[in-house]
Amino acid sequence: MRVVLVCSAGMSTSILVERMKEAAEEQQVYLNVKAVAESDLRDNLHELDVVLIGPQVRYLEKSIKEKVEPTGAKCDVINQQAFGLMQGKQVLEQALNLMASND
Amino acid sequence: MNTYMQQFIEIAGKIGAQRHLTAIRDGFVAVMPLVIIGSLAVLINNFPPLGRFHLAAWLNAIFGEGNWQKVGGNIWEGTFAILGLLVSFTISYHLAKSYNIDRLPAALLSGASYIILVPVTADFGLDMDWLGTQGLFVGIIIALLTTELFRIFLINPKLIIKMPEDVPAGVTNSFKSLIPIMLVLFIVGLCQSLLSILADTNIFEIIFTAIQQPIQGLGDSLPAAILVALLTHVLWFFGLHGTNITGAITEPIYISLVEENLRLFGMGMSAYDVPNIVTKPFLDAFVFMGGAGTTIALLAAVFIVIRTQKNHPYRQVAKLSAPGSMFNINEPVIFGLPIVLNPIMLIPFVLVPVTLTIISYMAMFLGIVPKTVAMLPWTTPPILSGYLVTGGSWRGVALQICNLLIAIIIYIPFLLAALSAAKQQERVEEV
Repeated sequence: MRVVLVCSAGMSTSILVERMKEAAEEQQVYLNVKAVAESDLRDNLHELDVVLIGPQVRYLEKSIKEKVEPTGAKCDVINQQAFGLMQGKQVLEQALNLMASND
Repeated sequence: MNTYMQQFIEIAGKIGAQRHLTAIRDGFVAVMPLVIIGSLAVLINNFPPLGRFHLAAWLNAIFGEGNWQKVGGNIWEGTFAILGLLVSFTISYHLAKSYNIDRLPAALLSGASYIILVPVTADFGLDMDWLGTQGLFVGIIIALLTTELFRIFLINPKLIIKMPEDVPAGVTNSFKSLIPIMLVLFIVGLCQSLLSILADTNIFEIIFTAIQQPIQGLGDSLPAAILVALLTHVLWFFGLHGTNITGAITEPIYISLVEENLRLFGMGMSAYDVPNIVTKPFLDAFVFMGGAGTTIALLAAVFIVIRTQKNHPYRQVAKLSAPGSMFNINEPVIFGLPIVLNPIMLIPFVLVPVTLTIISYMAMFLGIVPKTVAMLPWTTPPILSGYLVTGGSWRGVALQICNLLIAIIIYIPFLLAALSAAKQQERVEEV
């Protein structure tokens, strides 16, 4: 699964990236994840499965969705609690569920 | 939540997502490395003695009086000194990126337009005064306008040069932006000629005196600083990236203000005598310690109050957030504790930064602490940042420590209240 986390500068979500990688290793899930700044998202849309948005930039959800959805990737705001507590496992689960969902 | 609040959040969100404001903010983010390097060059050139170690005297002795400082001076000339020109490139690049049109031609066009409009000196050199922060607002306006015009012309099918079908696509593409660029440059060139011939003035002088100077004057005042601190934190309380939303408007103002300080400091003025108190590093170093809400003080308060229960959720969050907080990244505290939509935490979270803004302002206003004369990355840890932004003064560090203590004292009673509220909640749940 290829995931990109978006926040304002890609700083706080980069902490989450490490946690998600740990969780993926434990569960033996293939995960390619990185954190990017919102302004760099357009250059990172290639072959993605899921885009997760940091809750602090959820006001950008609409404009991010406009960029992401044409590529076929799924997009959602990260659960606030899981983000705050940097729970890699929960966020990984959110990403997996999102990818599995059909709409 | 009442409807006013709902509306407030919605409007703030719209401002934060607004295309042009986002382009301005991202444009500033893009030039930040150059700005910081330019600023460090000035800082090193003017670094005060550290006890017996006096860098400047030492280097003077090796390379001859003032010679080594030329390197830093040159770096300054190519970075902070041409900020207006630089942002005209980067803002336009980011605006074009958001429209998904050719970025590099848009950025070059904006830079070219800037040069067309900039005043020249008597011996036909570019006037450096207007390439820097004095031209910042013009740079922003040029970037937005030329990129908009470029886009409008670019998507106009009538303005595309039609090639016979067997011409390769690469060749056709190379002509695609030619007419739009020509039209924009013609319009800009015409405006410049009209202004200089008919009115004997230039757009830089007009915008600087009519818009930039008054706004900067307003920006460098205590009420404005309090308003910025207040607004940023109310937004964060609602879980929105406050710094990011207010940034598009505050960055141009507070970066221009610190540039003036820096320039005078570089010419040998003391950090006490430079004119502007409220600047970007002022807010970053003395108010946003550990991130918005000076939450590094909240973490300290948590460790002070909750000593015995090692597994208390607050303590867990504090432990988790501590490494990031050293570098002023505090989303884990804000969303994990949480502070977001936590009514008990709202008061200190807003009160602390406002109080610290007032204290820091007064400390500089009264000449107790030197003003800010260096731009640092916003991730610079507190204490180090206090020392460097004040041009290497222990008083800057003292102010930060004093601010931290005050912040801890304000946070503690609210933390206790939150803890007892949580306990009561538990009791209710148990029953």
